[in-house]
Order: sequence, then structure tokens, then C-alpha cells
Amino acid sequence: MNQTAQQTVRVDLEQGLHMVPCSLIARTAERFPCEIHIQKEDRSADAKTMLDLLTLSAENGSMLVLQASGEEARAAVDALARLFESNFSDTDPGSNC
Amino acid sequence: MHVKHGIAVSPGVVTGEVLVLGTEDFRIPQRFVSIDAVESELGRFRNTLETVWSEIKENERLASDRLGDQFGAIFGAHLQMARDPKLIAEIEQLISERSFSPEYACSRVLRRFAGELQNLGNQYHAERAVDIFDLEKRILRHLLGQRREELVHLTAPVIVLAHNLTPSETASLDRKFVLGFATEVGGRTSHTAILAGALEIPAVVGLGHFLADVSGGEMVIIDGNHGEVILDPDEETLAQYRELEQQVHSVSERLASLKTLPAETIDGTRIALWGNIEFPEEAEVCQGHGAEGIGLYRTEFLYLETNQIPSEEDHYQAYRKVISAYPDHPVTIRTLDIGADKVPETHDEIGDDIVNPVLGLRSVRLSLHNLPLFKIQLRAILRAAVDGDVRVMFPLVSNLLELRQARMILSDVMDDLEEQQIPFRRDVPVGIMVEVPAAVMLAEEFAREVDFFSIGTNDLIQYTLAVDRADPSVAALYRPGDPSILRLIRAVIIAAAKYDVPVTVCGQMSSDPMFIPLLVGMGIRKFSSTPHAIPELKEVIRNLTIEQAEQIAEHAESLDLARDVENYLRGELNRICPDLVF
Repeated sequence: MNQTAQQTVRVDLEQGLHMVPCSLIARTAERFPCEIHIQKEDRSADAKTMLDLLTLSAENGSMLVLQASGEEARAAVDALARLFESNFSDTDPGSNC
Repeated sequence: MHVKHGIAVSPGVVTGEVLVLGTEDFRIPQRFVSIDAVESELGRFRNTLETVWSEIKENERLASDRLGDQFGAIFGAHLQMARDPKLIAEIEQLISERSFSPEYACSRVLRRFAGELQNLGNQYHAERAVDIFDLEKRILRHLLGQRREELVHLTAPVIVLAHNLTPSETASLDRKFVLGFATEVGGRTSHTAILAGALEIPAVVGLGHFLADVSGGEMVIIDGNHGEVILDPDEETLAQYRELEQQVHSVSERLASLKTLPAETIDGTRIALWGNIEFPEEAEVCQGHGAEGIGLYRTEFLYLETNQIPSEEDHYQAYRKVISAYPDHPVTIRTLDIGADKVPETHDEIGDDIVNPVLGLRSVRLSLHNLPLFKIQLRAILRAAVDGDVRVMFPLVSNLLELRQARMILSDVMDDLEEQQIPFRRDVPVGIMVEVPAAVMLAEEFAREVDFFSIGTNDLIQYTLAVDRADPSVAALYRPGDPSILRLIRAVIIAAAKYDVPVTVCGQMSSDPMFIPLLVGMGIRKFSSTPHAIPELKEVIRNLTIEQAEQIAEHAESLDLARDVENYLRGELNRICPDLVF
């Protein structure tokens, strides 16, 4: 059952989308079989690769589009959106990492 | 092909394979593997990755337990990076399709990612490159296992590229295998640069950031004459440089034949050419280059080498070694010339609050502040002087009181030695380094109280022009040819002549053949320079007349821009000795 899903989220982290949030996105994304991309303006990154995500250089306040296509696309986008909504708070180490 | 510009600190041209030196010194032993080894190499890579993953997981667990989850998360991020599918795919592709060795492939790919992050133009991301280098080291450490090669265990010739080399690292470079080196930081007058000159290997420093683009194993050219480093040169450039390498080699062979000839101008004026040394072993290097004495023996290495204050015996043995190479010629020993921050034990006393070491408690100030330390050195100098023509020289003297105090301590030490009936020499000539503009202003007053002057151009330029040559952002402002510097040198010569005090010029300026006609024309008859420069200086002197030199000096001193002075002098050198201008 192929589906697509899309949602816009806002980065609300003082240091922007830094290393730890990127790793959490990748770790969450790799649990889903679908393809997931995160788009910032004209740049797009594979959500399963944190090195790609880092190069998005998404600063505090930037708007990102989460896009998934394939199996469990909706669930994947929801899971990632929840990370953004909770501000990655579970394990955010703060500003220095 | 990439061309990087830095500061040339040791001449010569060399071509070779790169060895990148990190804080941990990994050397990638092999860039390619044979086609039939690809499968097993892929297997080796995957096994290594799994080991790396479990190592990072263990770090994550430890950090979480001991420091809290937020710190564990950092390693969680490292783990995610090490498991990045894109990263792994790229590395595996290089191994399987291009037969790269896993070490080379990892290094290439990770460094490319690091470079991308650094180029995003954002401080945070630039700093993340460090995390990637950390991962690279982690992987290489496991891949290389027992095969890890240290700098000291080199078995094939390489060119060392590093962020920085400490003086002791530089000193430990094996000349047989290290063909040349280049560093991101450092300046012309840093100890590292001075040591490179002593080792006689081409070196360029102060290149700024460039190591992220290099993984090791590729070809590089070091042009120590122009301060250029060429990474991955194309065929044409490579051929051009190999020819130049030959040419430089044949010129230096011809110059070596001058060794036994005197440093005398065409019209018969003898010029003294002495050597600058840092280690006692270099005295022999000086002999090899035809130096007629030691004009500057820097004694700092005695303090930097170990973590202890050197004993009187340590000093004495080092000095004896130099004197035995030059028993009948001048050996000028300069007392301690570093900051308190670099001297063991005194460091605790002054703490970490040094605001500006260059203007702080250093050199003769430190010696006068710590008399036991000073007396140990002076005792050793006076004792060693029994066997040779030793002179003692105080650095960074900036007022007359310092000179008088230092002389007083010297005579106290003589009294002690006499009382203890220890043999020493009483008539040791005493001189100062003229390297602070204040000392130039008072040169006449100083001239009445010293036996010789030595103009230390490195510090004199730094203090006069207010430029730290080690800082790449202002290094270009450091100009020996600046008219202000010429005027200061002239002032010292005039003051010294009134009281018949001999003047030596030491420092990098006196090692550059371009400045020799000028300085001779101004009246300098004694030079102390890096040993390898001596044959070139001799060549210049032997092709010069005093009258010609005086005309050159007169014209150079009439110019008002450093650039014009240096261009003019370069042109004159080209007329006198065309093959010295590369």
C-alpha cells in the first residue's frame, strides 16, 4: 500500500538542527521502510543519513518539509514531526554538542 | 591540483608522498589493493565497522551512566554517524570499484564530508568536522591495528603535513625519510621554522586551513623557496618541479665547494660568517657549511626538552660539546630567551594569567626575576669558557639597569666560583642582543658598557612593526626591508662605531642573501645565520665590492616603502649572483 505524506515543521532549537537532533532523526527514520526526505528551501536531505541532514545547516527558526513515500509513509512523518514538536527534549544535550 | 601559499621557512624544493600527521599519527600505508583482494578487504572493512560500533556503544553507555543521558547522546550521534548508510555505501564503492584500500577510502570519504561541513560557512558546522576526524581516527585505529606506523618508525620517504609541529617533534624528524614538511600554523621565526632550517629540509608554515582536503598518500610538492605547497600536482607541474629540484641541487653542490674559501669581498674585505645553533649537535653542521664560529647559540632547548630545570652539569656538557667543535673560534652563548610560561617550575609561580607572553616575563627579565635559575646557567658558561673563546650575550635587554644587574650577577657568580676554587674564565666578553627599539634609542649608552652588540632582527622587526609573524592574518606585514628597520640598524651601527663596539647581525634577515649587500654597505662585517645559508652568503660576499655595497645601501635607504626596498634588493642580488634567485 503505497502512500505519500508531507508535513511542515519549524526548527525550535537554539543551536539549530545540530548533531544530536540529526542523529535522532536518522535513528527514527531508519525504522521505517519508506523513503523519507527533509527539504529546506532548495536543499533536500535523506532523513536516514545524518551526514546529509547536517549539511542542511538548518538554523533556529528555519522551516522544513518532511516528505515520505512508500510503506508507512504517514507513520514515518508523524514520528518525525513528534520529534520536532517535543523539541528533541528526551535527550537534547543542550548547546555544546 | 591545489596550490597553497604560506611562509617559506626553509629553502629547497621537494616532491613526494603525503603523510598527514594528526594528534595521533596514523599513516595510511597503502592506497590501493589488488583486484583479487577486494572481497577480503570489504570484509575487513565491515568487521572493523562492527567493532567501531560496539566501541562507540560502550562509550555511550559509560557516558550515560557516569555523566548523564545528555552526554551519552553525543556518542549516540557518533554512532549514528558511523552507521550512516550513505557514508558506508560510498566507502564500499571506492573499495570495490576503484580498489582503494579501506584505510584510504575511509579517510577520503570522511575528509570530504568534513570539508563539506567546514564549507557551509557556519561556525557550529565547521567545528563538527572535528567529530568526523575523531570518527576517522577511530576507524583507522581499528583498521590498522598492529600496522599503525608512528612518525618515528618511518620506512619510506614522505612529506609531512600537519596542523602544527612542536619543536621537539620537528627535531625528531628523521631526515632520511622526511623530505620536507608544511604546517597550517607557525611563522618564520618560530622554533619549528628555525629547526627546519637546521635540519635542512624544505618547509613551509602558516598555510592556514588546508588539511581537511588531504587524506595522505597523494603527491605533494613543497617549494621552500617561495612558500608554496602544491597538492595533487598535474604532470606538467610535477615535471617542472623535478627539474627545479635538480637545479637547486646542482647550485648547492657548487656552493659547497666554496667551503674552504674565505668570505672576502672582491676588494679584499674579510667578513665573518658565523652560525646560529639551537642544539650542540648543530655545531658540526656549522663546520660542514664553513661557519667560522657560533654567533648565536640559543640555549632554550635545554629548558624545552625536559620537564625539569636543567642542571649546571646539563648546561656545561652542552656548552662543552659546542666548544669542542670550535675550540679556537668565537662561541656566543645567549642566556635563556623564552617566556616564563615555557620554563618548567617557574610556570607555577606565575600561573596562567599571562596576558601577552611576548611583552611579559621572558628572556633576561625572567633570568633577573629568578636568580638561582640564572646563576646555574652563568656558572656553566664561565666554566665551559676555560676551553674556548666564549662570549655571553643577554637577550631582550630594554634598559641599562637590566644590563647592569645582569653584569652584577655575572660577577657574583665569578666570586662564588673563585671561592669554591672551580676553574673558570674571567675575561669573557659580555654583549647584548639589540632587539627592542628602546635599546636602539639608547645604543650609545649601551655601547659604553658592552663588549659587543648583536642585532636580533627577528624580535626587532616584531617589536618595531608590532607584528607577530606566527599570525597568518598579519604575517605579510612583517617586512625586514621596512625603512624603519633599516633606520634602526643604521642607528645602532653609528652608536657602536663611536665606542668601537663590534656589531653582528643575527636573525632571519642575515640568512637571506638579498640583505647581505645592504648590510655590508651599511658597515656590518659580522653575520650570524642559519648554517645552511652560509655558502650562499659567502657566494654573495665573494662577488661584491665594498663600494658597490655602499651604493646599494645608500639607494635602499632612500626608498620609503618596504616593498620597494625588497624589490630593489632582489634585483641587485639577481645582478650579483643570478643563480641564487629562484
